[in-house]
Amino acid sequence: MKRHRNRFSVDWEDKVGRSKNYSGLLLAALIALPVGSVSAQTANTVKLGMVGELSGAGAPSGTNWRDGARLAVTEVNAAGGILGKKVEMPEYDTQTDPQVSRALVQKAIDEGVVAIIGTVYSGSTLVNMLVAKQNSIPQFVGSEAPTIVERGNPFVYRTSSGAQKGVPALTPYFKDTLKAKKVGVAWVNNEFGRGGRNVFIAEMKKAGIDVIIDVPSEQAQTDYAADVAKLKSANPDAVFVYMNQEESARFLIEAKKQTLPMPLVGEVTLTEAKVIELAGPAAEGAIAHVGVTATATEVPGIAAFAKSFEETFKRKPTHDAIKGYVGVWSTKYVMDMVGKTDGEAFSKKMKGLCLKVADHPKILLDTCWDDRGEMSRPSFMVQVKGGSPVVIGAVPAN
Amino acid sequence: MRGLSLHRSWRLLLIVALLAAAILLPLGQKNYFIYVLTSWLIFTIAAMGLNLTLGYAGQISLAQASFMALGAYTTALMTLAGWHWLVSLPVGLTLCFVVGLVLGYPALRVKGHFLAFVTLAFNTLVFLVLRNEEWLTGGTYGLSGMPRPEFGSFSTDKQLPFYYFTLGVTVLAALGLWAIVRSPWGRAFKALRENPIRAESLGVDTRRFTLLAFAIGSAYGGLAGALVTPLVQFIEPGSFGLAHSLRILLMVVVGGAGYFFGPFIGAAVVILLPEVLRFTEGYYLIIYSALVIVMLVFVPSGLIGIFGKLRARFWPRRQVRADMAEGARLP
Repeated sequence: MKRHRNRFSVDWEDKVGRSKNYSGLLLAALIALPVGSVSAQTANTVKLGMVGELSGAGAPSGTNWRDGARLAVTEVNAAGGILGKKVEMPEYDTQTDPQVSRALVQKAIDEGVVAIIGTVYSGSTLVNMLVAKQNSIPQFVGSEAPTIVERGNPFVYRTSSGAQKGVPALTPYFKDTLKAKKVGVAWVNNEFGRGGRNVFIAEMKKAGIDVIIDVPSEQAQTDYAADVAKLKSANPDAVFVYMNQEESARFLIEAKKQTLPMPLVGEVTLTEAKVIELAGPAAEGAIAHVGVTATATEVPGIAAFAKSFEETFKRKPTHDAIKGYVGVWSTKYVMDMVGKTDGEAFSKKMKGLCLKVADHPKILLDTCWDDRGEMSRPSFMVQVKGGSPVVIGAVPAN
Repeated sequence: MRGLSLHRSWRLLLIVALLAAAILLPLGQKNYFIYVLTSWLIFTIAAMGLNLTLGYAGQISLAQASFMALGAYTTALMTLAGWHWLVSLPVGLTLCFVVGLVLGYPALRVKGHFLAFVTLAFNTLVFLVLRNEEWLTGGTYGLSGMPRPEFGSFSTDKQLPFYYFTLGVTVLAALGLWAIVRSPWGRAFKALRENPIRAESLGVDTRRFTLLAFAIGSAYGGLAGALVTPLVQFIEPGSFGLAHSLRILLMVVVGGAGYFFGPFIGAAVVILLPEVLRFTEGYYLIIYSALVIVMLVFVPSGLIGIFGKLRARFWPRRQVRADMAEGARLP
């Protein structure tokens, strides 16, 4: 009877029934392993948890962030550590996965870190900052999404200004430097592009400048001939170009081909190394506002940072590297001021805190945080000259 | 017959022992470990669903993550609006069941790789809708701050109670699947996988069972999603992309497709193994991938198949299904 009933089936109970014995063992072995590996924190060290995108799509940002932080830890230890104790920085790879990043912030806190350094991707930060908040652990992040500081989390602090601050910083440049009366906008029609374009149009309205032409383009568009022709015939005093890297490069190439005469001004991406590499000589003369750049070598702190970064890692630092570096040094400065590793006290101290380069040289630029963790510090206007971005002016903190 | 009942009581004892281990394991552990264990249970549920669709009924689906998304977003939107998790659960499951039923229709016409592509397209479609319909889903920034359920005085706000809550749900889900695969439906699913033409000739309504396999498997995905929402308390479209469907597929294949306990082991390998290997730092993902390749080369029937092979060698019993030596033949 039994046999007959199972005629169709795989008879899994026979196959599996006894093997559960072993599967249970395997499972237990898998599960038991990590338990023993949790190390106890020794009293003479201070642990910072570097949680970052070391693999996956975010790896270019995350590894730079990590290397900047590593460099800072070496320097902090050479300068006597935090509260006179040696700094250790265990690293946690999020695989650019928000859920993994949440688990790892938890792991770092379980292992006794006193602050979290990371993450860079906003999607990850939005998840894992809840955990740091629940445990009252201060967290320096490299993310720039506006929402991060709008959630009423007193333990999260930026290491660069939020996106909503970048585009408005361009307004004085259009108004006072270029003395533009009528401008055009060329933007990529995705979430990133639309957000920037909306802020720009609102800003121009406030400044009394007319936006006479508005040219959206598609993500991954290859032919910009029509877009550039439209801009050329409208003939504004300047064009605001807000696209991702590849699109920016293609746009610049077409603009060069049709000899678009007016200045092309962007925000961060337009003068990035990748765009310059792709656009070649067509990138020459492009102008952009950048939050922080390793090319601002007339700032002594940044020059010194860029030099030792290049010596240590044999490549040029990106802005993410500067952010990781600033994150670790800010933790040190503030913890030394507070005199203990307590998160609540740290959070109180951070509210409206300003760190001046004169007193805290490794902060690189005078930096303030408001009571939400948003940061403001001077930024730069750069222009591509001779194939690399050169600083043409400083923008005061806004 | 005596041998059989002895076998059965041993099995029962083992299940009880494993359950006791699952209850005792997280005690005294740190939050991170409990969190990882909880996500192991949740992905086990998702993999159980795919195991039914793929392992038992032989219909390949690359859309399991999108059903997790449907369950997760339904739960998130409803609990954020003040409904209890228990109210949102049947809504999410019904939605997944119905959508799974609809997605099953192409499976009546296409098989194998073509079916894989249809379901892949569906997964991408769900991802795009979640990303673009910002008014409902919050777009790329997702939804956050979903409350964890409370049952009278039992609050799941802390990690440990939430783990036990998830364990309870997992046990119920496993019992449900147990009942399904042992029922006439379960045998019809297997018949469908092995030889659909013969199944039909024996009176199995293949059309109905193909659709059911999809719908029930999808509902399990939805259940897993409904648990992800309160666990992570943040959901965004990126967590339900194609890569995650492939991960669930990997769990089913590595664990052993068509074996009841395959998903438990598969999810353990995919979720817990990388965590165990983290001590190797920069190499952990490389080692993990290499191990998965080795497993698939040497034990194509999944890890659970190892034990069957070992037993067949050292302790041969009656030959039941020689063709299962290579695991369920997947399309």
